[in-house]
Amino acid sequence: MSNGPKVVGFVCDWSVDLVPLMEGGRLREMPSVRIIRVPCSGFVRPSWLEDALGRGADGVFVTGCPYGDCLNREGNYLMRDRVDQLQRRLQRRRVDPARLGMLAYGLHDGPAFLAAVRAFVEGIRALPAAAPPRSAPAAPAPAAAERETP
Amino acid sequence: MSTGAGIAPSPPRSRYGRFMTGVLRGTLKLDVWINKVYPADYNPLYYTGGLSNLFLFILVLSGIFLFFYYEASLVEGFASVQYITLGVPYGGLIRGVHRYAADGFIVAVLLHLFRNWFTDRYLFSRDNPWISGMFLLIFGGFVGFTGYQLVWDERAQVLTAMFVGMLRSLPLIGDWLARVFIGGAGVSDGTLVRALFLHIGPASALYVMLWWHYLRLRHPKIWPPATWVLASVGLVFLLAGVIPATSGQPAAPAGRPASFPMDIFFLIPFWLLNYMSPFAVMVLLGALFTLGFAIPYIARREAPQEMSVRHAGVAQVIDGNCTGCELCFFDCPYNAIAMVPSPAPGLSRAAANRTWLAVVIESRCVECGICIGACPFEALELPKFLERDVQAQVLEAVRA
Repeated sequence: MSNGPKVVGFVCDWSVDLVPLMEGGRLREMPSVRIIRVPCSGFVRPSWLEDALGRGADGVFVTGCPYGDCLNREGNYLMRDRVDQLQRRLQRRRVDPARLGMLAYGLHDGPAFLAAVRAFVEGIRALPAAAPPRSAPAAPAPAAAERETP
Repeated sequence: MSTGAGIAPSPPRSRYGRFMTGVLRGTLKLDVWINKVYPADYNPLYYTGGLSNLFLFILVLSGIFLFFYYEASLVEGFASVQYITLGVPYGGLIRGVHRYAADGFIVAVLLHLFRNWFTDRYLFSRDNPWISGMFLLIFGGFVGFTGYQLVWDERAQVLTAMFVGMLRSLPLIGDWLARVFIGGAGVSDGTLVRALFLHIGPASALYVMLWWHYLRLRHPKIWPPATWVLASVGLVFLLAGVIPATSGQPAAPAGRPASFPMDIFFLIPFWLLNYMSPFAVMVLLGALFTLGFAIPYIARREAPQEMSVRHAGVAQVIDGNCTGCELCFFDCPYNAIAMVPSPAPGLSRAAANRTWLAVVIESRCVECGICIGACPFEALELPKFLERDVQAQVLEAVRA
């Protein structure tokens, strides 16, 4: 599809206005970045971020509203704490914490948001290659989850 | 909904929706501009509620001081306020603080109201803070008006006459209300006793309504950052020192002054009396507050189907997976999750070993999904945006 690192971005639907930036679920300027819109940055479960990295994504980031202005009052602060924790956990597993990012931009900060994502992607491009995905990415997730819990 | 990939939400169709979207953009643009001046954590517009509470607290403290010296009677009312201003050490300063903190209070309250209206912070079950907030606004405005009465100078006298006229203009109950308000057929000593009670009673009631206002919030931002506390207190004292609060001429039983100094924060309804009949002003006030109460119910910026992932249904607990760890209970910003004793024996091993079960109080849930992010045991889901839907999008992203 493109030559950039595969990046998954979880973006709060109240924060950056993605309509002018997105095309077919990806950023128009960086097609290697897949955007998943979520109701609040606090909705993102850290295991999903870990999972995305484990399944072969080169980087994952979460975007919330500016700190202090979360529509749901605390979602972005909670998510920042969870991302910090997950970064420490990744470091123990020899995964570079730079592969995980937390951004905070408001409805109008489209250009600043794009610049931050570009910097994030460039940072990942500079890293040594990641470990190969621990499971075949073709396996559908729900079926895999069912097999794991007998 | 299930993939959400590349679905561009159409702009709201109704005229109200388009207008409110424009206002939302304007509000957030103002934030961007202010955030260039301050670090985002100190943006005063993020703390309008805390600032209101701070000003209310200043009002209570200075009001207690003033209360010790005030005498509620026609003869002593004006004289005791003059004594506070000129005779009591620092009395004039405290009176000025009380006066300017009231202005700050009403400004902060109105900013709080418009900001939360314009940024959609009254949606779903957040109508409860909205309704209690409207009560706080009405009571706060009325307390400000009775405060002007207590000074009992010419302005107070005219205001009382105007308000009595407005009450009398109401059909059926008007005369009775006017008699109750001034304590008899005409103005007497009892009028100022009532004014004092109607100043302090509703002001105390504000704290009962604040309890209702905060009831569904976990960690409410009650105070602004310390720098803004210092700045606000300093500003109020500075104003009180530079522009002292003063009384007009003492009220005289026969006096009928034609004009008085206006106050744009509390006395706008009385200014309208220049142009409208008392009954029309009462109808206008009634219509404004009725509309205010109805805002969460009559019109939305976006129709529910336009909200996509932001309207994914009330969170649901998956009984078999819940371990009773209380993480969602601690993280929910709306106190919408309660921990209840787990019913025995339970559906699964996790259920058999837990003490507590998380339960979502549906009337408090705003569908934000923060509890889903808090739960490491896959025991919570938003019904219209499942974990499976997220995983499908992740897979699609890494496969390409």
